[in-house]
Amino acid sequence: MKDGWLQRLSDELAQAWTVAVKDMRVYYLTAPMIMFGLLLPFLLFFSFSIKREIGVQVGLARLLALTTFFTASSAGPVIIPLERRTGTYNRLLAAPMSLFTLLLGKTLVGAFFAVATSLVPLLIGLLVMRVNVVNAGLLVACIVLASLAFSAFGLVFGSIPTSSATAVGSIMMPSTLVRWPLLFISGVFIPLTEMAPAARAVAYLSPLTYAQDLMNHAVLGRGLLSPWLDLLVLLLSGVLFLVLSLRMHRQSRRLGY
Amino acid sequence: MDEKIAIRVEGLTRYYRNLLAVDHISFQVQQGEVFGFLGPNGAGKTTTQRMLTTLLEPTEGRIVIFGHDLAREPYPVKRQMGLVPEESNVYTELTAWDNLMFTAQLYRVPRSERAARARELLEAFGLWEKREVKVENFSKGMSRRLSIAMAIIHRPTLLFLDEPTPGLDAQSAHAIRDLIRQMNAEGTTIFLTTHQIEEANQLCDRVAIINHGQISAIDTPERLKAAFRRVQSVEVALEPDGAAHGEALAALLGVTTSVKMGDKWRLYTEDPSALLPLVMDYARAHDLRVVSLSTLGPSLEDVFLEITGRQVGTVRHEAAEEKPARRMKGGGR
Repeated sequence: MKDGWLQRLSDELAQAWTVAVKDMRVYYLTAPMIMFGLLLPFLLFFSFSIKREIGVQVGLARLLALTTFFTASSAGPVIIPLERRTGTYNRLLAAPMSLFTLLLGKTLVGAFFAVATSLVPLLIGLLVMRVNVVNAGLLVACIVLASLAFSAFGLVFGSIPTSSATAVGSIMMPSTLVRWPLLFISGVFIPLTEMAPAARAVAYLSPLTYAQDLMNHAVLGRGLLSPWLDLLVLLLSGVLFLVLSLRMHRQSRRLGY
Repeated sequence: MDEKIAIRVEGLTRYYRNLLAVDHISFQVQQGEVFGFLGPNGAGKTTTQRMLTTLLEPTEGRIVIFGHDLAREPYPVKRQMGLVPEESNVYTELTAWDNLMFTAQLYRVPRSERAARARELLEAFGLWEKREVKVENFSKGMSRRLSIAMAIIHRPTLLFLDEPTPGLDAQSAHAIRDLIRQMNAEGTTIFLTTHQIEEANQLCDRVAIINHGQISAIDTPERLKAAFRRVQSVEVALEPDGAAHGEALAALLGVTTSVKMGDKWRLYTEDPSALLPLVMDYARAHDLRVVSLSTLGPSLEDVFLEITGRQVGTVRHEAAEEKPARRMKGGGR
C-alpha cells in the first residue's frame, strides 16, 4: 500500500465518491427529494411565469437558476436528518475519513441531482423550443458551480445541531424559511434592473443573484455584473457554506448529538 | 507506549450541559482482551463508548488507542476500529450485498478482496441466500447479523459492540457470541458494552462495572465474584407448598436475603456450609420433602446488583416489605 498524503488524498476522494453514490441510490427516489427537489422548482416557475410575457430565452435562464438553487439545496436538509434518525450517519462519522470528505460527498449528491434536473429544461429548451444559448461553456460552468454552491448551502441546514429524533420536517422548515425569500430578492422573478435600490442592495447578499446573473450571461449574452465576479462569488459561497457546515458538525459532536 | 495496551482512558469526563454523564473514569484494555463494560441504564456506558469511537467529544480526559491520542490522531485509530451500535444501522433501501460493498469501499478494502470477504461473511452469518434481498425485508436478527458483518468487513483489530444480542432469537444471539469468541481468538480486541450480565460472564476476560458515571469495579468475572463472598447462596426446593415457607427460611441464622426463583428459594449467606444443616433441620421439623438443595457461588449478576444496588433482569423481584437486617424478595409473606 502506498503511504503518505497522496494515498490519503486518493482514499478521501474515493470515500467522498462512495458516499455520494450510495446517497444517490438510497435517497434520490425518496418522497421529500422528489417533492422538494424535483417538482417544486418547476411548479414555482410555472406559477410565477404564467401570463407573464417573458421570452423563451429569459424563461430558460430563470428556470435553470431556479432548478439549480432549489434542487441542489434540497438534498442536505433531507438526507442528513434521515440518516441521523436511522443511525446510519454515525456509521459515516465513525469511518476513517475526514469530516470534510463526508461533507464533500454529501455536496456532490445535491449537485448531481441539480445538474441532472437542470438537463430537463435545458434539453427541452434546446431541442424543442430551439433556444439559442449564447455561451454554452459558461452555461455548463454556471450549472455545475451553482449546483455545488447551493448543495453546500443545503448542507448548512442539514448540519444544524439537533437530536437524532428530530424529524426531517423540522429541518426543512428553517431551510424553506430562508430559501423562499431568496427567490424573490435574487432577480429570478423580478429582474434586478426593476428593483428599488434598497432591494437591489439586499439582492447582492444572495448567492442566487450571482447564479441568475451568470445564467443571463450564458443564455442571453447579457447580465448586470461581470461574469467573473459571478463565478468568484459562487465559488466563495460554496466554500463558505462548506466551512459553516463543518463548524456546525463539530458543534454537534461537542453537544452530543 | 505500552504495545500491549489497546485502549488507555485517563480521567474521561462528559457533561451534557449540567448533567455529569461520565465522571473522570480511567481504565485500560489490553490487546487481545474481551473487555466487558457493564452498567444499568443511564450509567454512562453508551456515552463512554461514543467517546471511544470519536462520535462524541469528551469534556475532559484523554483516550489513547493503539498508542494514538484519539483527539489528535483519529484517522489511524478509525482504520483499525469496527463499531456495532445498539441499533442496527444498515441501509434498509439497499440489499445485504450492497450494504457490505458500500462499507468495504468506505474502509478502502482492496477491490480484489471485497467480493470474497463479503461472501465469506454472508455465508458465516447465514445471509448468503438473502444477499440480493433489500434489508427492509429482513428480520431484526438478520439486520443485526448484517450490521456486525459490515463492522468487520475491513478486519478491525478493535471491535466495539453495544448491546449486540438483546431482542434476538436464541439462534442469532448464539451465532453472535460464537463470532465474538472466534474474532477474539484470531487476535481482535473486543470492547463489549452490555447489560446482559451472563453474556459478559461467558465472554469477557475482564469487566468494568460503571454506575452513576463512575467505574465501581474492574476485574475478571471470577475475581469479582470472589470479592463478593457474602452473595453466596443456598438454593432449596421444598414440597409440599414450598412457596409458603419463604419468610421462615429467610429467618434462618446467617441468611441475609431470600429470593424466590420459580419453585425454589435462594437464600443468600456468607457461610453456605453452616446454613445447609439448618435448612435440612427446618424441612424435617415441618415435615417437608427436600426436592433439591444446592450451594451456589456468587454470580456476576449478584456482584452487579451488590455494586449498583439496582434490580436487573427478571430473576429478582423486589419484596413487598423489607426488614432492616434481612431483605425478603419474591414471594415472602
